[in-house]
Amino acid sequence: MSLFSRLNSKVLVISISVLLLVYFVIFPMGILIFDSLYFNDHFNFSNYKDVYSTMVNWRALTNTVELSLMVMAASVIVTFPLAWLVGRTNLPGKKTYRTLLVASYMIPPYVGAIAWVQLLNPSVGYLNQIFKWLFNLQQAPFDIYTFGGLAWVLTLFYSPFAFITISRAMEKMDPTLEEAARVSGASPLKTLIDITLPLMAPSILAGGLLVFIAAGSCFGIPAIVGMPGNIEVMTTRIVTYIYMGDEQGIRDATALATSLMLLANSLLFFMTWMLGRKDYTTISGKSTRPNMVELGKWKWPAFIGVGIYSMVAVVIPLFSILLTSLLKSMSKPIGLDNISLESWLPVITSSQYMESIWNSVLYAVIAATIGTILSVFVAYLSVKTRVKGRSLPDLLTIIGGSTPSIVIALALVITFSGNFGLNLYSTMWILIVSYLVKYMTMSVRTIAASLSQVHISLEEAALNSGASWLRTCKDIILPLIAPSVIAGWFLIFMPSFYELTMSLLLYSGDTKTIGVLLYELQTYADTQNASVLSVIILSIVLLGNIILNKISKGNVGI
Amino acid sequence: MAQVRIEHVFKRFGSVTAVNDFNLVVEDGEFVSILGPSGCGKTTTLRMIAGFERATEGEIYIGDKCVSSSRKNTFLPPEKRDIGMVFQSYAVWPHMTVLDNVGYPLKIQKVPKEERVKRVKEMLGLVHLEEYAERYPHQLSGGQQQRVALARALVARPGLLLLDEPLSNLDAKLRESMRFEILALQKELGITVVYVTHDQAEAMAMSNRVVVMSKGLVQQIGEPHDIYSNPANKMVADFIGLVNFLPGEVADGRIRIAGMATSFPNTSNLTGEVTIAVRPENITLSKDNGTMPGMLTHRFYLGDSVDYRVQVGEELVRVIVKGADLKQFKDGEKVFLDFEKILVFDKE
Repeated sequence: MSLFSRLNSKVLVISISVLLLVYFVIFPMGILIFDSLYFNDHFNFSNYKDVYSTMVNWRALTNTVELSLMVMAASVIVTFPLAWLVGRTNLPGKKTYRTLLVASYMIPPYVGAIAWVQLLNPSVGYLNQIFKWLFNLQQAPFDIYTFGGLAWVLTLFYSPFAFITISRAMEKMDPTLEEAARVSGASPLKTLIDITLPLMAPSILAGGLLVFIAAGSCFGIPAIVGMPGNIEVMTTRIVTYIYMGDEQGIRDATALATSLMLLANSLLFFMTWMLGRKDYTTISGKSTRPNMVELGKWKWPAFIGVGIYSMVAVVIPLFSILLTSLLKSMSKPIGLDNISLESWLPVITSSQYMESIWNSVLYAVIAATIGTILSVFVAYLSVKTRVKGRSLPDLLTIIGGSTPSIVIALALVITFSGNFGLNLYSTMWILIVSYLVKYMTMSVRTIAASLSQVHISLEEAALNSGASWLRTCKDIILPLIAPSVIAGWFLIFMPSFYELTMSLLLYSGDTKTIGVLLYELQTYADTQNASVLSVIILSIVLLGNIILNKISKGNVGI
Repeated sequence: MAQVRIEHVFKRFGSVTAVNDFNLVVEDGEFVSILGPSGCGKTTTLRMIAGFERATEGEIYIGDKCVSSSRKNTFLPPEKRDIGMVFQSYAVWPHMTVLDNVGYPLKIQKVPKEERVKRVKEMLGLVHLEEYAERYPHQLSGGQQQRVALARALVARPGLLLLDEPLSNLDAKLRESMRFEILALQKELGITVVYVTHDQAEAMAMSNRVVVMSKGLVQQIGEPHDIYSNPANKMVADFIGLVNFLPGEVADGRIRIAGMATSFPNTSNLTGEVTIAVRPENITLSKDNGTMPGMLTHRFYLGDSVDYRVQVGEELVRVIVKGADLKQFKDGEKVFLDFEKILVFDKE
């Protein structure tokens, strides 16, 4: 009887979570696709024809693809040597470099964009001024508001995706595969070409595709760096159309969003399929300490090279934002007499600013809490049960996570504005739902990974000792997975806290978040307040990451 | 083929000495195993011969070539040492066919393709994989992958073959048959072999000589029989085969086992307190006739033998009798023991 009722409760939990996920993830996307194809009471491609016959949209599509390809290529070319140097050589300061190289992963992309605008805008960019002074130039050498500038910022902020993927693959690769080549007579370089590169190819491509998708789905960086230079991409076009607010605008937006969603999701599924092929798995014995390549005379040049890259990618932009937030006057030269906390005062005391910060914290806490509870169910179902359809909820969260934010936001707008029973528009709940759809998958992954480490025999031993199933969960399973549950909470909390893209489309007067406020400040050219706010965001994210690192002992981080 | 000389080799990782003053000459065509528990320095030693680790001190010669010398500051990288190596994880390249895997060393040597294919096929014949040339590693079993690794290590006819626990990922049956295959290949090619293992049976069965290592130090070098019957110290006696250790004492030229009337002539030059070692199969057990009385506490039937525990004074002594009948003795029965052969070591 108890077995029967437990089975039933499992079925119930599955049904509820599947229904919730279908309603909030699949249904809105279905509506989006439907709307994009349904015009004048017929299914047709006229929306697409309309949209792409406009030059600016077509240009946005080619820009997106070109830009993403550039960023992907640059990221792979830069990060493969970096991952190799940090992972497989006797490079000095490897640990610090590893932290720095993944650090830009946790900086909100739009904050990075704001920093680079400060550094390289043609009139007053800090670096431009330094170069002008150094080389006695008449004109600023760099202009951030260009295609190249956009690619530059996107590469710096999304290359950690490639770095992490490639580093992990390098760590996982059995070092004796390379050693076998060495004893076969191959030099280190020949080994790299014949063995290491071909074996890493799927991971390199996977890392590259992740960068491609992230760069193509990104709104913050193109909005801040591209739009002032009239460089449009898919995401910025979609936002522009939605902001028009009329029916035509929304229709055009749905066609663009559907195209973007198909592009991103099909690439992701291709990547998953490619990595899932079993051909490349080999038996690995005891993991011998990978043989660190002696860099010899290249040791210090490499140290300096990686150092310069880390400075450029992480340290300089962060410093620039901090510096700007501390300036008394933007128009005066930088010096100690021009530095104070003066500009912080109006921000901290302003009710408008504080309200946004409070909103963001509140929504992120709610999203993280609901999301973590759901994640535990979803992860338990997919890892610990044998019920049919157990991994369906998991798959649905993955689809949510892989869909570009802008697409999720648009889908939620057209679905939950009252047309289909539920009206969440301009409430905080539509924001929270959007965060859940986008970020729950990270939490599910983390909790599922730790649940799969809890061997079924541990549960069985508790049941055998006479504990009920619920008691077993409480006494055995939860304590064992607790760190991952807390980590999962932060993995939803942090990106939700600084989210920009979806919030920008879904906020209303009362529900303005910190990301939206920052974006507004930046577009109104209030650089200084934007910097202060950025520093606040960065501090909270940094704090969250330190806690996350402590809890997960360095295994999980944004 | 090549002689290997290792002279006063040390390997230190920071303050830890992983290999401490290793000396060994492996003769041309000899099969030498380095045996020891995990962390004893055996793999580090092999990796120094291969060139994957650099000796902190000492010299290594392969043939007449000095491949590593701290004094002369010479260090030949692995690819210049003319060796073949088989790894515990097989390390066959998953992106290459069997033919390409085995042919890789020849490709590096720029052997023309036709000859290369001919030599690879020959080699595959030797390891019974002729049929599998076009397969990829994931289509092969573990044993077959290990044979690919072996063929690859031998195809370029190196002077020296190094094997790092090559059989430990295989199941027991396959492991035994692979032992014979490796030995047969070694005989056929007359190649010098250094073989690292933690499996004493493997080392005993395959080697001309065995080097027993523990905590970075060489404990004993000798022929398998020698090491088994005359272990140099307690560690070797304990690691190779089964053994009972009993406290004892040397007095008046006789060795006495603590708390017992029996004594043995002192064949060692030890005095005072000693440890007496006796292998379970060197003890006879009888009902009514013997030098040491004891009480039988447990019996375990092992098929080809019976494994007894006998309480003698304060000590529990293990006795193994080949071909014994389980019903011969009962638990709790009074029995007599006789030690046929004992070993005497320092107390510590």
